[in-house]
Amino acid sequence: MTDDSPWTKGMGDDGDEGPKDLGATFVENTLYGPDLNVLDGEFIGDRGRVFGLALKTGLLTVLTLGFYRFWMKTRLRRWYWSGVRVGGAPAEYTGDPLEKLLGFLIAVAFLAFYIGIVNLLLMFVSFSLFEGNFAAYALSFAGVVPLWFYARYRARRYVLARTRWRGIRFGLEPGAWGYAWRALVHWAVTILTGGLLWPRMTFWLEKYRTDRTWYGDVRLEQEGKWTMLYTATKHVFLAAVVAGIAALLLWADNIWGISVALVAVIWGGFGLAYYKVKTWELLTNAKRAGGIVFHARPKPLRVFWIYVLGYGLSSFVVTIFLVPIGFMLLALMGGVEALASGGAANLTSLSSWALTAVSIGSYFAIFLAWGAVAHAFVTMPLWRHYSETLTVIDPQALHLVQQRGRDSFEEAEGFAEALDVGAAI
Amino acid sequence: MSSIIPRVVRSGTLPPDADAVLFDGRTAHAKSVQLWVNQNAGVLEIRGEGIDQNWPIADIRLIPDQAGQKGLVLGCEAAPLARLLSANRNLMNQFPALHKRRANISRWRLLRWAAGAVASVALIILVLVPLMANQLAGMIPAKGEHALGQATLEQIRTALDETGIAPLPFCENEEGLAALAKMEARLSPQKDPLTVRVLDHDMVNAFALPGGHIVFFRGLIEAADTPEEVAAVFAHEMGHVVSRDPTRHALRSAGSIGVLGLLFGDFAGGALVLFLTEQLIEARHSQQAETDADAFAYDVLSQAGVPPSALGDMFDTFRTQFGDADGVQAHFLSHPKLSARIADARAATPDGFEAQPILTDVEWHALQNICD
Ligand SMILES: [Zn+2]
Repeated sequence: MTDDSPWTKGMGDDGDEGPKDLGATFVENTLYGPDLNVLDGEFIGDRGRVFGLALKTGLLTVLTLGFYRFWMKTRLRRWYWSGVRVGGAPAEYTGDPLEKLLGFLIAVAFLAFYIGIVNLLLMFVSFSLFEGNFAAYALSFAGVVPLWFYARYRARRYVLARTRWRGIRFGLEPGAWGYAWRALVHWAVTILTGGLLWPRMTFWLEKYRTDRTWYGDVRLEQEGKWTMLYTATKHVFLAAVVAGIAALLLWADNIWGISVALVAVIWGGFGLAYYKVKTWELLTNAKRAGGIVFHARPKPLRVFWIYVLGYGLSSFVVTIFLVPIGFMLLALMGGVEALASGGAANLTSLSSWALTAVSIGSYFAIFLAWGAVAHAFVTMPLWRHYSETLTVIDPQALHLVQQRGRDSFEEAEGFAEALDVGAAI
Repeated sequence: MSSIIPRVVRSGTLPPDADAVLFDGRTAHAKSVQLWVNQNAGVLEIRGEGIDQNWPIADIRLIPDQAGQKGLVLGCEAAPLARLLSANRNLMNQFPALHKRRANISRWRLLRWAAGAVASVALIILVLVPLMANQLAGMIPAKGEHALGQATLEQIRTALDETGIAPLPFCENEEGLAALAKMEARLSPQKDPLTVRVLDHDMVNAFALPGGHIVFFRGLIEAADTPEEVAAVFAHEMGHVVSRDPTRHALRSAGSIGVLGLLFGDFAGGALVLFLTEQLIEARHSQQAETDADAFAYDVLSQAGVPPSALGDMFDTFRTQFGDADGVQAHFLSHPKLSARIADARAATPDGFEAQPILTDVEWHALQNICD
């Protein structure tokens, strides 16, 4: 660390700005070899701020009947992006809420047609032929799945096009339909093989996305083989074995059956987290951008713990919210009964309106509390952990990266937004 | 490192106001620079190795929503890709327009597409969906129609439930059901079988659903003065069943709910769907549909020996109990021409009409206590 780096000077002791080596050309080091610039990742920003931001923007979203959500998403992304610093330089999200609104309007103009007419027809066919709405839901779902992958790729393209680091834009080449049909085939193969070829899907879809990703004028490449991801599946398979033992024990009416089944469930949860973290590590370490390579070393146990603790805490907070609301509902309902027996019908309708108001209010309160707590205790800790355990190794090539042109991409995330393609933020 | 930067440009020998790092937006190179705020010339002077830039002070913006609270990340309208990073936060006071926003999207474009989206949604919801629903309602087979009604009824029961545990219960007192069955037999001796239910709820209302479902709320049966008034409501709802108004309505909402959900997103969407389901009960049929259902009811009632004026009596009873304003509770009360409908019902009763009681006193008592 060079103390005369201008970004470091004048900083407080706690150093939450934390940029190191930003102005330095390179650092001698023993771990990665000489003549390499080692850019360590870190995450700036604390829980309190993201909690406040999520709560404030969430409230505005509710008050504007959902229309502030474009601003909410933009502001949260700006916050998270600016919190990630690699080699001291923060990333930046340059998306525009109005651009998102426009993209959404474009998507609505087209999708309203599809959704209105198709839903109606499906409902009609389903009830006419099958006397139930299950067929309608199944068909509607089947029709939406390819669109869902399509929209996901498009959303990724938009987000990358609006992400900058060191002033240079990222980008993703067009290719959403290619992605959609590949994803469908991979999913079909994965399901038909009972999940045995899951790593193959993970690898090839990631390779499709990575090989089309650019940083400035440098294209990223996904190297490695899909079989290398099998080490990431070990805990899922072990959990499956334990589940098998549990099934045998339960079948034999053994008293240990339940406990072993519980172990299998927890182990399975950890196995999934392990798969996610480990594949991310393996894939990231096999990526390159020209000569620039990456060294990721996230800890699966830590990530699993963040999930357990974070969602546990979110549930706890929501429960706390529920208790007073429950009492209020009970009190109101008692009031309704009393009034009804007293025959004051006008008042009955009045308190039934109050009841509705309280129900809607509590629905939104829970929604807001859950969202804000999950940001502070799940999303942010995850981002922090992934950032802190990432290192970019630059063989003096980074400073040569040139800017790329702007991807205007009118529809922004419109389709993803309209189809509810759930991105974390 | 700052010592090697030649300070050649600025004529004075003032020390720099701050050190910073510049990303010029052309390459990813991080350049160490020094900053001088020159308020006289209205520019921020940025000097470094091979760098000689002036940013107009009025054009300097703070990049918003930063996670880091100690440094400054600055941009400039004139050079939108460049970023200046400085640890000196006091610099902020020097720039007057840090928070000014520029709209990158043309307002007209936005308005045009907003109008387009609204027009598209309006066309779908107000024209295409009703048109198709009207056509399809006539083509749906009886069994399918019944299933549609069943599904809608379950939705309504879930929406009306306030306990959050189970759907709103049906009232199934045996003698009460027997009285209701007798009333049904009197009104529709040989027509298609109906499915008649009573829901345990205070609301003074009744509604018809696709496939011959007719549902009363306990509130309506308790509020009625005579069994003939209940029979009149029964006959009116039968009129809706026969003309398939509820089927049209259910198909229409199947098309509209998805579109409205699309518009409001998952955030408000959940509450919205709940709200719309409640609207289903209110079922505002067209004025013509109401008039036709009334006319149908007069015929059914006369044939069953119940004076059609009972429909008018029912309106009258409810109006004196709740007043005209309480329309939310019952769709037949919310009708603007309530007085006209009362008059019509009385006029439909010929002079010297021979009324036969539809239920005995005992049966009427059982029906009023069907929820016990
Ligand atoms: Zn009616």
